Amino acid sequence: MKSDMTEIKGKVKEYIHQAVYTDKDKIKDDSLIFKEGFMDSMGFITLITYLEEQFGISTGDADLLEENFESINAISDFVMRKLMN
Amino acid sequence: MSSKKPFSKDIILLEDVESAVNEIVTKMQVDVLHTMKRNGGVIGISGGIDSSVCFALAAKAFGPEKVLGIMLPEKDSSPDSEVLARNLAEIYGVEAIKEEITDALSGFRCYERRDEAVSKVFPEYDSGTHKMKIGIKQSGLYSNLPPIFTLTIVEPDGTEKEKILPRNEYLQIVAASNFKQRTRMSMLYYHAEKLHYAVIGTPNKHEQEQGFFVKFGDGGADVMPIGNLYKTQVYQVAEYLGVPKEIIDRTPTTDTYTAEQTQEEFFYQLPFDLMDRYWYAFENGYPASEVARVMGETKERVEALYRNLERKRKTTEYLRMSPVRNYYGL
Repeated sequence: MKSDMTEIKGKVKEYIHQAVYTDKDKIKDDSLIFKEGFMDSMGFITLITYLEEQFGISTGDADLLEENFESINAISDFVMRKLMN
Repeated sequence: MSSKKPFSKDIILLEDVESAVNEIVTKMQVDVLHTMKRNGGVIGISGGIDSSVCFALAAKAFGPEKVLGIMLPEKDSSPDSEVLARNLAEIYGVEAIKEEITDALSGFRCYERRDEAVSKVFPEYDSGTHKMKIGIKQSGLYSNLPPIFTLTIVEPDGTEKEKILPRNEYLQIVAASNFKQRTRMSMLYYHAEKLHYAVIGTPNKHEQEQGFFVKFGDGGADVMPIGNLYKTQVYQVAEYLGVPKEIIDRTPTTDTYTAEQTQEEFFYQLPFDLMDRYWYAFENGYPASEVARVMGETKERVEALYRNLERKRKTTEYLRMSPVRNYYGL
């Protein structure tokens, strides 16, 4: 399970780093990617599409919460929870 | 030294509407007649509050005989719009003509391109029997998450189905729909050039600053008389200029998609009176705690709203930029 989480986080991190318009070194695992302005609306919708395609999860209205998407850590946890359900 | 007024719910109101109208009218005369050296104004009229106020201001600035109102309906437009626009033109004694743009839009394959994207999200979508609209998820307003766009289709029996709109389909629907505003802009410039008039644009302050306009579409004009007015102020000016009550009372809509949709639902996520006050507070640097106290909100929610407004302003900066041309000889 731990290796699954490591793999998920690696993929999420790689995606976020290539998707933002900033130096990737500035984005830590707990950086607040939306609050700090690293990603905008288009980035958010692209991220959701990526997560759905990459991990085969589906995102509904109830999932659109800050705690699910605010950072690389939060997104990885969210994907893991979705995969376990 | 000027000190800032304490924040209040009425802070947004124009104290002297007559004087504000005179200031706008005088500047329109200077800009259009003297600086641009055009003989009058052409304006697209939709029967909405913004274009009606701009129309009345233009009639006052240039005289009714130097203004041409143009109705620019297409097959998705509300039929009410034309009735209201014709009535408006009669009241101000201005000539109004109709230019139907459906054929031009079909030539651009506007409807076909839009429906292709809708069908990718809802394979059962049939443009002949279903209606469609896009909107924003309301939950994003007080959150640090950016807004998410949704697509809704309305079945013949009125049942609505909604899905989160994927990026590519969202972009295609918006790009296709923007043919409407850009076609209207082309037609307005045809008539403006033919008459040696200026094009009077109708966006208000919110539309300009929050990016609720189409670049080189309704954002393409020579002057924008209400570009610095909050919506509350636009309504004050409308009352003063005698805009018909049916127009003042009409809920602002996008009149862009086949299903009925208010501007609040599509873009603003807040009623205009609230949006005006929060935007004013945000752009004039009122502390969230002071605004929260007056508005009966929490400081945290007002701070989140401020961040949302700041994000809207930043992410739409591209729309307001003129073409960048200083690449050589700096």
